[in-house]
Amino acid sequence: MNKVITINLNGNAYQLEEDGYEALRAYLEAAARGLAGNPDRDEIIADIEQAIADKFRAVLGANKTVVVSKEVKDVISQMGPVQDDSGPAAGAAGQGAPGGGPAASPGAPAGAPKRLYRIREGAQLAGVCNGLAAYFGIDVTLIRILFAVCVLSFGAGVLLYIVMMFVIPAANTPEEMAAAQGIPATAEDFIKRAREGYYGGMKAFGDRRAFKEWKRQFKRDMRRNAQQWRQDWHQRWAPGAPPHPGAWAFGSFVGIILAALSLLCVFSVISLIVTGGVLGFFPPFGMPLWLAVILVIIFFKLVKWPFRVARYGAYYGDHCCPGGPFSWFWHTFSWLILVLFLIWFANHHSVMAHDVLHRVSHEAHRAVDAVRDWWDQQ
Amino acid sequence: MSINEKFTAIRKGLLEFLVLKIISADKVYAADILTQLGSTEFATQEGTLYPLLSKMRREELVDYEWKESEAGPPRKYYQLTAKGREQLRDTADYWRKISGTVKSLGQDIGP
Repeated sequence: MNKVITINLNGNAYQLEEDGYEALRAYLEAAARGLAGNPDRDEIIADIEQAIADKFRAVLGANKTVVVSKEVKDVISQMGPVQDDSGPAAGAAGQGAPGGGPAASPGAPAGAPKRLYRIREGAQLAGVCNGLAAYFGIDVTLIRILFAVCVLSFGAGVLLYIVMMFVIPAANTPEEMAAAQGIPATAEDFIKRAREGYYGGMKAFGDRRAFKEWKRQFKRDMRRNAQQWRQDWHQRWAPGAPPHPGAWAFGSFVGIILAALSLLCVFSVISLIVTGGVLGFFPPFGMPLWLAVILVIIFFKLVKWPFRVARYGAYYGDHCCPGGPFSWFWHTFSWLILVLFLIWFANHHSVMAHDVLHRVSHEAHRAVDAVRDWWDQQ
Repeated sequence: MSINEKFTAIRKGLLEFLVLKIISADKVYAADILTQLGSTEFATQEGTLYPLLSKMRREELVDYEWKESEAGPPRKYYQLTAKGREQLRDTADYWRKISGTVKSLGQDIGP
């Protein structure tokens, strides 16, 4: 006893055995895939459904109301694989147009799971903002500004960031990277497509010529899939073109500043532990040493942030971040503005901050004088 | 490699020419085209013919009208457009030239 499924083929109702239904569904799906990009796809599919309906009608009679699986398979092999290598769409899909295939179309196609990951590539701290930006598809600068605002309001942002840092996994493997951005071009997808194509072909096994034709087609499709996959892969994960020499020099210069800042950070922490203060600034009474150390490290991280973005941008161009070749410049600029605003805000609204800034500028003057004296003695 | 396989590409290239020729003789249904081709070396399946017809319609070589049939829904009834007739003439000229070339080059091979 076999289960029977009723289908609607271009407005005609037919009853098929379950296996036959599966075969027909696979055939029509393969046809729709083969015609992807064809402007008349729906019309052609409707025509094909009508032709299949006509062939089914021919095998049915007054005493026969169900199309058995073998008949469905015979009809499918009579129809032959749907080939669309005549139009301009097919020519374009074969070569150098990664946007042409259904797999590479932008905007997360169905079946491509999108998950929240931390993305360390191009990250400033632990990649939380980067991951959030990729997940929601918005500019990372906006997320960072939002976080900075949260930090201003009673340090909630810091807590939130630290919690997310531990809760959200980092994207380490390419598959996770793809899932973080919602790109379906993974090995799994590739294999799935390969398998579908393979079983689609097995159905044409009866007819030797059709089978041969299918085999060639299948191989060609798979080669094309593999090629496209590799291309997508390279485009996304390989480092971009060698950077411009000017960008390289700029990057190196920023690198030196970063190194100096790192040294200064280490020096500050040591100074804090040994003398209990940094450059004449002492933490408020009652603040535990560990908290002061963490605050100093966070402070230096924040100061280094724009330089790191600038260096990354100089080395990798816009490879990492969407928004054009100068997005890194915009990132840095907006961040510097924000930092300056915060300093200005603190200077005006907090006596302590005002004092600290005053002292820092005083210390800076003294440091510059010391360096000048040392230079004069040489 | 058999002769049949060697000429796969040529048959494929000539298919459009033959479809134009078949439609030029009389208005036809897609099924009629398949029947006429079926008894020749150019036997074709729906899976190939339908995308081809759709492409030819996009290129304005053929046009169709819906026609009621005795059984089932209305069918597409194909005919050539002026552009299609022009292309058929050009292709036929070219084909005559090619077959003339095949005949004239080298040794005469047959009756």
